[in-house]
Amino acid sequence: MARYYDLDDIITEDEGTSVIFQVGANGVGLLDPSSENNNVEKGSKVDLPFWLAHELYLRKAVTINFPACFNQKIRKEIQADAACVDLKIQCPYFYEFGCKIIPLTGDKTLGSFLQYAFTSRYKEALSKSHGAGTSPKFLNRLTIEETHLFEAARCSMINLKKWRLGGCRLEKAAILGRKRKSV
Amino acid sequence: MAGQSDPQLSLFSCQEVEFLAEDELVQIIPNMKMEALHMICGDFGPFLPQIAVNVPLWLAVALKKRAKCVVSIPEWMSVEKLTQVLEAERESPREFQPLPFHYIEISRLIFDHARDDIPDVYMVRSLIEDIRDVRFHKVESGLETISGRTHAVKLKNLSAMEVNIVRPFVIRALQAFYKHDSPQIIPQPEASGSGSRRPQVADRGPRRDLRPR
Repeated sequence: MARYYDLDDIITEDEGTSVIFQVGANGVGLLDPSSENNNVEKGSKVDLPFWLAHELYLRKAVTINFPACFNQKIRKEIQADAACVDLKIQCPYFYEFGCKIIPLTGDKTLGSFLQYAFTSRYKEALSKSHGAGTSPKFLNRLTIEETHLFEAARCSMINLKKWRLGGCRLEKAAILGRKRKSV
Repeated sequence: MAGQSDPQLSLFSCQEVEFLAEDELVQIIPNMKMEALHMICGDFGPFLPQIAVNVPLWLAVALKKRAKCVVSIPEWMSVEKLTQVLEAERESPREFQPLPFHYIEISRLIFDHARDDIPDVYMVRSLIEDIRDVRFHKVESGLETISGRTHAVKLKNLSAMEVNIVRPFVIRALQAFYKHDSPQIIPQPEASGSGSRRPQVADRGPRRDLRPR
């Protein structure tokens, strides 16, 4: 709730999470496309947005399957060469979603894995963002948080270059440009 | 600060940093006679022909534009001094040489408005560019060592513009590292039981300085 107005936080919570219903639920058939009547059977596997899965989990109505974007395959890839993994395609809010899912899955290694991934990918972003040209290919691999980081650094470099080259030093106030209305 | 263009990020634009730099004092040699100016920040003058006087940079620029003075170039902007600084910067990969806090902005303003007062203007200019590049490279390689254990970053002798460039990046990076290193995310072995969270935070290793003092 602390980040109630944070758009990124809201979108993070929209991430699909696969859950297994522990109880039958009546009247919510639209959650499960395969249900024939309007109910979700006990034990059926359904994809829910994280915010809903979280609430149902707290009420012990569902158990949460471990999300695919943190599975062993991805972990191996990150360990091999973190900078080359396309995390955006896995989950645009990889880190934030990971942090949110930790208390629900009780996975003890996920936290250190996220930290490792961020630390090793951070260096790449650092050297690329302050340098000259960058390939769009590299940008496509970044998660949203990494993109913010990258853009923050690049903007300040661009501003510095602009300032150094000079140009018009006196800016005209917006109001001065307007023509006087004929009465 | 009130005039910031982006208060959310606590970020100054380059123009704003330049504005702040205009308060630095420089020495001018006026060629006209004028009474002392009484400003809120202090009194400047009286101005007598050929008598050197210290004024803020903005006043120096204004007088220079009207051809009422010659700006005497600060000592650190001489070719010898800058060559020394550049060499020292290259030799010590972990330390920054002391330069005026606003050296990039001051030199830029003087280059723009009083370039005829500088002997060897091209040399001085390229030396300052080189120094800036070397220093920035050092900042970058220093930032590579940030990790979850970094609580604060100490950079001695860094100038205003250099800080301003890396500020948005560093703030975000440190926030992200802090988040990923929090005890809720990474369960710590001693965290078992009902131990309070405070001691753990204090226990997270010594602060790592980016540069030796």
